[in-house]
Amino acid sequence: MKKLFVAASLAIFAGGSALAETKIGAIFDLTGGLNIYGIQQNNALELAVEQINAAGGVLGEPISVVSYDAQSELTKYTQFTTTAILRDDVDALFAGLTSSSREAIRPIVQANNVLYFYPSLYEGGACDKQTFVTGSSASQQLDVLIEWAIQKYGPKIYIMAPDYNFGTISAHWVHEYAKQYGGEVVGEDFLALTVTDYAPTIQKIQQSAPDFVVALPVGANQTGFLEQFAAAGLKEAIGVVSTNYGSGNQQVVVSPAAGEGLIASQGYFQVVDNSANAAFVAAWAAKYGSSEPIVSVAVDTWNAVHLWAAAANKAGSTDIAAVTAALESGLTFEAPNGTVTFEPGSHHLRQNIYIVEGDANHSFNVVETFEGVAPAYENAMCDLIKDPAIATQFTPEGM
Amino acid sequence: MEADFLATVLLSSLSSASILLIATIGLAVVFGLMGVINLAHGEFLMIGAYTALTATQAGVPYLLSIPIAVAVTMAIGALVEVLIISRLYGRIFDTMLATWGISIAFYQLAVLTFGTVSPGIGMPQISVQIGDYSLALYPLLMNVVALLMLGFVYLLMTRSVYGMKARASIQVPEMARAIGISSSRVNTLTFALGCGLAGFAGAVLLPIVPATPSMGFAFVIKAFLTVVVAGPVTLTGSALAAIGLGGGASVTASFLTSVAGDAFFFIVTALLLWRFPLGISARWRRKL
Repeated sequence: MKKLFVAASLAIFAGGSALAETKIGAIFDLTGGLNIYGIQQNNALELAVEQINAAGGVLGEPISVVSYDAQSELTKYTQFTTTAILRDDVDALFAGLTSSSREAIRPIVQANNVLYFYPSLYEGGACDKQTFVTGSSASQQLDVLIEWAIQKYGPKIYIMAPDYNFGTISAHWVHEYAKQYGGEVVGEDFLALTVTDYAPTIQKIQQSAPDFVVALPVGANQTGFLEQFAAAGLKEAIGVVSTNYGSGNQQVVVSPAAGEGLIASQGYFQVVDNSANAAFVAAWAAKYGSSEPIVSVAVDTWNAVHLWAAAANKAGSTDIAAVTAALESGLTFEAPNGTVTFEPGSHHLRQNIYIVEGDANHSFNVVETFEGVAPAYENAMCDLIKDPAIATQFTPEGM
Repeated sequence: MEADFLATVLLSSLSSASILLIATIGLAVVFGLMGVINLAHGEFLMIGAYTALTATQAGVPYLLSIPIAVAVTMAIGALVEVLIISRLYGRIFDTMLATWGISIAFYQLAVLTFGTVSPGIGMPQISVQIGDYSLALYPLLMNVVALLMLGFVYLLMTRSVYGMKARASIQVPEMARAIGISSSRVNTLTFALGCGLAGFAGAVLLPIVPATPSMGFAFVIKAFLTVVVAGPVTLTGSALAAIGLGGGASVTASFLTSVAGDAFFFIVTALLLWRFPLGISARWRRKL
């Protein structure tokens, strides 16, 4: 019922304050299959706006929010992006979780020249003048994770990934970094999101005898893989590492027997220890309670709103050219996940990558922190300072 | 190919087929006996899983939580039948639309009640070693569960008074009413039974598939196709279709890729429906 109330109060908030100077749009999945992420993204945005407004707002005016529920449906993203731009005339848009939602939004923000923040971890490579990405990219996370895992477990790698671009591009990076750090991919399996029975995958893993498995389970069903892997008695002999385990609080769903010892790497986990995170977690708990751990896309959204507000204040205007210039000036923010910095050319964040290990209480312990990891692939491919006209998603060669 | 690999593939494919059959049987009973396709079947499975989960969290032993899940889903199923389905008999597309709507409502209700993540109960950490390969024990047990379910439904339909009434009501409804069978009550019971079987499936599969609001989606498509391929002979048809489609897909996935396994499932389904538009059992003489 709490969530109903939040949604209702959002609607009132969205309708009531049309006079404020600055207005931002939020399109997230508040209902439907993806609301495991969308509700937290929206909560983080509300919390950030509340905090910024309490501290004087943007350019001396409070920010107002127009919020939409994309209902986990792609067509709604297209529709609401157009509405937010044409009817509500937003100064900046914060929206999307899946890569398909981002790719639905980008042509519209490009055509209308509106600032767009994409707050989610993803496969990487998105590049255009209007889009700013606050999540970590696959190569950013996998670079440090694969090197770490090869040292810890050994060189032989098996990949279990979802059968769409996040999975296939991530798998490509595993191959690349395996080569770079002296590892070898001994097998891989791509799975549809509806698979619930992982016995065939588990047999193939045993057949190819890897030192560790890179598991990228997406969605509720694929967490079943981790249960079945553990129950087959393989967890002791074969390590499991992941770039997205925990991103949707899978550690809560997975039983301690299966979750203990799993390795995950991401730009944020709630257990990260710093003062900005302590303040953030306390403010979140006061407003939303602490029944569900905060996921990384929530912090990505929080960072996006704060970075936009800082850029607008720095530029002295909400005009897109001025704010973009401020965002491209090496803007930094003391975020819950450590210091984050926008890379001027690629519009991606230089940020910490944390490697954590699952414990027996549905939570994590930080094993290692890699500070200020650059989005190396995006920086190499995408230079919007030199060529502002680029509008594409770079994918590794051969994909 | 080593013998131990073949043996594990065979065993686990058999349990894949059994898992599919367990998830399908309730849908097959409702379709076979009432001509109603219940697209909310997956959500009843989800309700069963959440009921069992809630019960175990409250301290009830897991085995006892299964009958609780069956009772709860049967009650909700009966309510849905009386309020909605009973008004739509003979209108197959309307019932599909109505049950699809119910599924969306149940899904969102689960999100509001349980949130988007709940702790799972996990699988018993017992495995069986075959040569170089080890298999989790719990999925293998599903073979036994599937056989017991088939046996239960068969006995219920052939040996109980309810079963006779149910078959009479569906085969010759006018005559059944003429000899005093209240076919509307029988239908309520049949629908509730189908939902109860779905609830049983959700509870018994809970260690393998964690309870989440969206878990129904994963099952309903394959369960639906299995029922359509099976055709009018509910039990034997469903069992054969589940072994052929589910087991075949699992074997394919073991030797090739998981995508190939899924492709096998859907291509064979399409081919079978092309050759047997009314299902593989359309011309069989047996009735169950």
